[in-house]
Amino acid sequence: MRLPSTLRTDFRHDIRLLDSAFVRFWAVAGLTCALLLPLLLTNFWTSVANQVLIAVIGALALNLLMGTTGQISLGHAGFMAAGAFTVAALITHAEAPLGVTLLAAAAAGALLGVLVGLPALRLKGLYLAVSTLAAHFVIIVAVGQYQSAISYGAGFTIPPPALFGWTIGSERAWYFFLLPAVLAVLLVNLNWLRSPYGRAWMAIGHRDIAAESLGINVPLYKLLAFSASTSLTCVAGALWAYHTGFVSVEAFDFDMLIQYLAMVIIGGLGSVLGACLGAAFVVVLPHAISILAGKLPLLQGLGLKTFELQIGAFGLIMLLFLILEPRGLAGIWARVRAYFQLWPFRYRAWEAR
Amino acid sequence: MSLAIVILIQAAFYALLGIGYVLIYRATRVLNLAHGDLMVFGAFLFYQALVSSGGSVTLSIAAAVVGAALIGALVYLVVMRPLASYPIAVGVLATIALAILLRAIVTIIWTGQTRYPAELVGQLGRPISLASGVSVSGVDALIVVTAVVALLGLPLLMKLSTVGIEMRGVAENAVLAAQRGINIHRVNALSWAAAAVMAAIAGMFFSLKVRLGPDIWYVGLAGFAPALIGGMDSLKGVAVGALIVAAAEVLAARYIAPQVALAAPFLVLLVALWIRPWGIYGSREELERI
Repeated sequence: MRLPSTLRTDFRHDIRLLDSAFVRFWAVAGLTCALLLPLLLTNFWTSVANQVLIAVIGALALNLLMGTTGQISLGHAGFMAAGAFTVAALITHAEAPLGVTLLAAAAAGALLGVLVGLPALRLKGLYLAVSTLAAHFVIIVAVGQYQSAISYGAGFTIPPPALFGWTIGSERAWYFFLLPAVLAVLLVNLNWLRSPYGRAWMAIGHRDIAAESLGINVPLYKLLAFSASTSLTCVAGALWAYHTGFVSVEAFDFDMLIQYLAMVIIGGLGSVLGACLGAAFVVVLPHAISILAGKLPLLQGLGLKTFELQIGAFGLIMLLFLILEPRGLAGIWARVRAYFQLWPFRYRAWEAR
Repeated sequence: MSLAIVILIQAAFYALLGIGYVLIYRATRVLNLAHGDLMVFGAFLFYQALVSSGGSVTLSIAAAVVGAALIGALVYLVVMRPLASYPIAVGVLATIALAILLRAIVTIIWTGQTRYPAELVGQLGRPISLASGVSVSGVDALIVVTAVVALLGLPLLMKLSTVGIEMRGVAENAVLAAQRGINIHRVNALSWAAAAVMAAIAGMFFSLKVRLGPDIWYVGLAGFAPALIGGMDSLKGVAVGALIVAAAEVLAARYIAPQVALAAPFLVLLVALWIRPWGIYGSREELERI
């Protein structure tokens, strides 16, 4: 009899990266599609694909903190801003190359994460959410002050970066730069989850008191989770700055925070696959809505209010997922997968992978 | 003297908002980040009724209160009730989603234009002169009176009425309350309705006093500062929290800078969270429970 891939028989099996023929097939198929994608897309949609790739990094970072470790964070847009402004500052003052700025953003993020994570040692749930929200405001005010002092409020123009002598200028070049970068981040993220660190984070996410009684140093691992997540977020913010070519504090508002929250909720909290799917969904949705608003006669009357429609759709879809499918897109995927793998038998796959 | 009156009016306004946060927190243990948008919604209902009825204030207030109560109960039954078994963070995220959904609905129905309902009302804006020579506008006087009535009346209601006792029971321990035959979903829906009404009342006052537009939600969001400072589960705490926040805001605007005043509620909140996270009158065990 075939064993379902959701059934793990030993630990070695549990931590295997590509644990079944099914996953191997989809990993290869997904990678092939991703490599061929720019051939099919126009310049505009390649740009959208690049935004998706950057959002994937940001969503993976937020998922690590909120989904895996269970620490609610409302400071994500602020952390993105910190990464973007690290790049802006290094380019303005030192004309630093791409590698240096990315490493600096990661380091700054790691440090920032420890600072922001400190309240998490004392506060939980609601109170932690409020303190991270406060951190968001503090960061935004700080970088806003910096912006008005250095650039007289105008913002910073970021020239296209160069890598090994090649300038990453066109959207297609960006795509082939970002794709390996995202794959690397994905691999790092998956490996973290396989390591003792990831296991500790998961344990804290499920129940921190139980984790503590298992011998996990809860404060240390909470800080590590904040640090790792914020560091990744800052890298995403830095890439965002390079790709957009312009950094200004207005971009990092509440809406950006809500978009990232939407990504991890719609994708499915705690799922790496979910973060990727959610990022793609949230970035593509506004474009899909503006196309639909132009085409469907039902929406034509509201066509002038496309922006409100987009925002409202985010709210509605987030609510629907929270109420009807809390495991998000990843949960739907797990169910579809279980259905086909076990056919003609039925089984409810409780565990999303 | 006039500074004290300004602080008192501001505190009364914050108290009206803070009561809404406390009611919802006691019912569903959720920090309702959609409160600001419930406030905007209620204010727009009031404005719409004013326009439709040709300026009849009593009718418009009644319409807004009934409409807000229905929306509040609906939000509980459709959104919060199915999420009751999930971690608290999920509930808070749901209120964020609800907030942007409400904001989009308000903007689609009423557009993003700024309006001034005071122009339709007129006589409420007449100043009342006090004995000491300072005068306050009719709206400001109403804010203070409403806040005092709410702050004195709600605890009485909680103590004496059957519904109030049921609400306290549910806030104390929902499972036990359910086992004693209390219909907790009815009670919670009532709490949400009451909170939405408080939000609508605050929204009406703000729109009469300053302006009305979808962007005033952040005023309502600032209302969680007094609730948290006072203690999320304490009505008494709201009054004290509101006074502290209002004093900080008004004094900062007067003696430091208007920009600092905007951040003042959050700065005070950070300090309060650092010193006494469970609030002045809040129960300490709440911190562990959430």
